[in-house]
Amino acid sequence: MSDVTTVRPEVTRAALEAAPPGRLKDDPILITFGMLKTFGGIRAVDIDHLEIERGTITAIIGPNGAGKTTLFNLLTGFDRPDRGAWRLDGRRLDGRAPHRVARLGMVRTFQLTKSLSRLTVLENMAVGAQTQRGERLERALLRWLWRGEEARVEARARELLDRFGIAHMADEQAGTLSGGQRKLLEMARALMAEPHLVMLDEPTAGVNPALTESLLEHMRALNARGVTVVFVEHNMDVVMDISDWVVVMAQGRILTEGPPEQVVANEEVIDAYLGRARDPAGGGEAGEANDV
Amino acid sequence: MEFDVILGNAARAGLGPQAAIFALAAIGLNLHFGYAGLLNFGQVGFMMLGAYGTAITVATWGGSLWLGIPLGLGLCVAFALALGVPTLRLRSDYFAITTIAAAEIMRLLIRSSPATELTGGPFGLQTIANSFYDLNFLPDGRFGWGTFTYSSNQLWVMLVAWILVCLCSALVLGLIRSPWGRVVRAIREDEDAVRSLGKNTVAYKLQALAIGGVIAGLAGVIDALQQSGVGSENFEPQVTFFVWAALIMGGLATTVGPVVGAMLFWFLREGVESFIREFSGLGWLPDGLAGFLDGAEGAISIALMGIGLIALMALWPQGVFGRRRDLHLGT
Repeated sequence: MSDVTTVRPEVTRAALEAAPPGRLKDDPILITFGMLKTFGGIRAVDIDHLEIERGTITAIIGPNGAGKTTLFNLLTGFDRPDRGAWRLDGRRLDGRAPHRVARLGMVRTFQLTKSLSRLTVLENMAVGAQTQRGERLERALLRWLWRGEEARVEARARELLDRFGIAHMADEQAGTLSGGQRKLLEMARALMAEPHLVMLDEPTAGVNPALTESLLEHMRALNARGVTVVFVEHNMDVVMDISDWVVVMAQGRILTEGPPEQVVANEEVIDAYLGRARDPAGGGEAGEANDV
Repeated sequence: MEFDVILGNAARAGLGPQAAIFALAAIGLNLHFGYAGLLNFGQVGFMMLGAYGTAITVATWGGSLWLGIPLGLGLCVAFALALGVPTLRLRSDYFAITTIAAAEIMRLLIRSSPATELTGGPFGLQTIANSFYDLNFLPDGRFGWGTFTYSSNQLWVMLVAWILVCLCSALVLGLIRSPWGRVVRAIREDEDAVRSLGKNTVAYKLQALAIGGVIAGLAGVIDALQQSGVGSENFEPQVTFFVWAALIMGGLATTVGPVVGAMLFWFLREGVESFIREFSGLGWLPDGLAGFLDGAEGAISIALMGIGLIALMALWPQGVFGRRRDLHLGT
């Protein structure tokens, strides 16, 4: 694998596309070096070098157990690697607690949606806001200090809920939402934090086709407004449809990366992942992955 | 059978200082568990620190009561930090185990012989509340009628205790309705989701633990003032579970739930005890059974309340003021 840690040569798009896994990007928002995470002898994540290009939609694909979710957990501070360093916009993230990672502009969602069930949908959204000073204990009782901000937060939350088509549920408890609505809420709530980079862990898992289409629209719209999107996905149609760049993981390592058309034609990728998914007879494992 | 006596005794207990003390402890526990989702089984530890901090300052060191009370409450904050800093990063069951152990260890330390000089050991500490009763502006004499007759000092401590109950209820209500309270309730639902949204959840949990602990500490202070003394036998682990019972009866995550639950707890406890006393006094029972019942009213009352609580959990799990549908929105 390439060992590009210190020197950053001038790169062109053509050179980029010809390079091996771990390639340099023109304008990376996220750079990861030498990340290793083992679970009792198993190398769950073992990445020499990974860059995410600013303003793109990047898909991370790979069979079950490839380390995709572990990578998400490591990058967002929910799990600690054995070693490794990574930077968001040049600021070191390694060793930072999850809430600090989020405050620096990288906000994640979860594979199993985490709606705050006994809070209303609107309250769920408000928790995502980063500007509410009334969240400090010493100001909590001084209503006049945060009332104005609260109105602004609510207005923004209602606007986002409206855009995501769940505004009519704003005052209902989030636990009453359907599975698909919870996915929408979780994505909308992440946006309340005004992230530069959103990390979506299987945003379309368990969602019906109509709602999947709507979720993809939201991801495109988000991207169009300058937010970088990284997502884990099992559904290759979705990946081909929406992503600018695809990173393929297998057994904790990056197998290859590139534009979607190029990646699906890669022999290694077909062997490791796609081949079995496209083969109805032997499609056990990968087939299950599609159903997640 | 004298039902008016039974009801009178029950109502007196439901309005008495013990009910107010339980109400305060339950308000704190409601902030811990009802709102922040913290499984605290050591609430009695906070009560004990509030009571002993006050009592040691006055009785052992000869200091002022008005120094002792803040010191006792300060100890509650310290206890919250000592409990929370190592365990609140871990899963909630570790925290639960630590709380029950820590409270009981502290009680055993307080009553141990090396601590006798400081805490009075098994004898406790006495005459600590003089400056509190000096403030009593109520006229001397006895007030009320029948069962509800109180001395001036009894009335004074009840007045202060119930005012504190109202103030603490209002404080918790205000906090919970603020953006701070929203984050705290969100942590109860799913801590990882809240962390992913940029909130330092450990800090919020520590704050909630400390505030609820100080409110329980106030309960301990009132207990010490009410008896004008402290004794370690008043702070056995079962007190925590009685407070839990009161809170669950009243309804979790509600403002009036802990208060009404505490009143109901003492009303029922005293009512059942009183009923057994009256009943065994009727002479309907064979001598052997009557002899068994005599003196065991307290234990039987607790056993019956345990059965009642199990029935309550099965039939009416939301308590008096809780919302039933919340229970179906599990996380």
